Amino acid sequence: MTAVAEAVADEVLPGRVWLYANYHCNLACTYCLTESDPRAERRELGSQRMLALAHEAAELGFTALGVTGGEPFLLAYLPELLARLAAILPLVCLSNGTVFTEGRLERLRPLAELPAQIQISLDRPDPDANDAMRGPDNFRKVMEAIPRLVERGVRVRIATTVTSISDEERARLCQLHRRLGVPDADHIIRPIVRRGRAVDHGLGVDAGPADLPAELTITTDGAFWSPFGPTVHGGRLDTDLLVTRTIMPLRVPAAALLRLVQGRPPGTDSQLNIR
Amino acid sequence: MRGMPVTGVRLIEAEQAPLLARRFYANGDPGPIVAALAQVPELLEVTMPFLDAALGPSAVDARTKELVILRTSAVMGCRYCIQTHTVAARNTGLSVEEVAALRGEAPLEAAFTDAREHALLRWVEVVAVGPGQVPQAVRREARAWLEDPELVELTLLVGATLLLNRFCTALELPTAPKVLGRLAAEGWR
Repeated sequence: MTAVAEAVADEVLPGRVWLYANYHCNLACTYCLTESDPRAERRELGSQRMLALAHEAAELGFTALGVTGGEPFLLAYLPELLARLAAILPLVCLSNGTVFTEGRLERLRPLAELPAQIQISLDRPDPDANDAMRGPDNFRKVMEAIPRLVERGVRVRIATTVTSISDEERARLCQLHRRLGVPDADHIIRPIVRRGRAVDHGLGVDAGPADLPAELTITTDGAFWSPFGPTVHGGRLDTDLLVTRTIMPLRVPAAALLRLVQGRPPGTDSQLNIR
Repeated sequence: MRGMPVTGVRLIEAEQAPLLARRFYANGDPGPIVAALAQVPELLEVTMPFLDAALGPSAVDARTKELVILRTSAVMGCRYCIQTHTVAARNTGLSVEEVAALRGEAPLEAAFTDAREHALLRWVEVVAVGPGQVPQAVRREARAWLEDPELVELTLLVGATLLLNRFCTALELPTAPKVLGRLAAEGWR
């Protein structure tokens, strides 16, 4: 058993490795951690490198993958890549849910037979409130995309990212996702993290290593403590949660992260529901 | 951007210090070498202990080590290291005349009359400048005065200093304000 596998089994280290597929996005959300938008530099990991990282993650003893961005589905090769990644380790892929054309949805059909989930952002039960944060027409597109994924057998998880939400709004949001075919177990509500564009809009909560699970996160710029680590503010990459610049072989950042985790003082487990 | 001056490298400030680099910032400003190396934290955490071991207190006395560091830096023309180690050499007890000679501003022979130090300085210059084999006469003189462990340590010290000379010069690291203040007060460049 590897040191990573042991640490994951003992719940010292989270089992998921995140891969930042890219940084560009068709949206420009007000709380975006990475200042992603259509003009953002792509900074793609690339399919071959993501596959190699996934294989090594499995060999090291990690138990799951996460794919995020940017908007990963802007990458033409993503549907087939997700199927290949999910054949290596169970995965969740984060998406804004706005770029699911009929052709792309069909190419995602194989995911129904694999341990794969698409996590789609939906912040409010009302179009106006939702779209104020995420951009025009976002709500409608998400409402269309989720049932079309569900009817193809693709498991969908909904992520609600908010500063606060009333009981009434939460209840309506839950009614909505149930109606779309997403069970309660696949709906997460999480706080906005005050990094990236959220800083400029005065949104969210501060989060450091003590608040964020130590989920190894790989980007073209290096390996980070958490998917909330490789944030961009004012066009500059934040390095406060950088672990190593080396991303391959994966054992290098994995070993460094493990050392950091094991060096943490006791009683510093994550308190925020930031996943 | 064309025509704009290109600076060396961004120095990582304390609030952006990567996780593996944070301990180097624990006592305040860690200096430009750490702040530059923090760009690649996995190299910082192995390079600094090496540099501490090579340049810091060890079996070889501090005066001898400063002779090596300052002379190597002067031969290589590293502004950052010459300035920083002018102050370090003065703190170690080297005289103004000795420091000036090591910096190349006065004849070495007049400032250093001790045969062992003379042999060492010849060894340093040959090793630092290179290329190729050390001449037999220089090797013979060094072996006459330096035991094997000293020769190994001081040769490694030349190498470590060369590493720093290249690093600090290529990346245009700024000399610490405290050092510049001390140099000005003592009339050094």
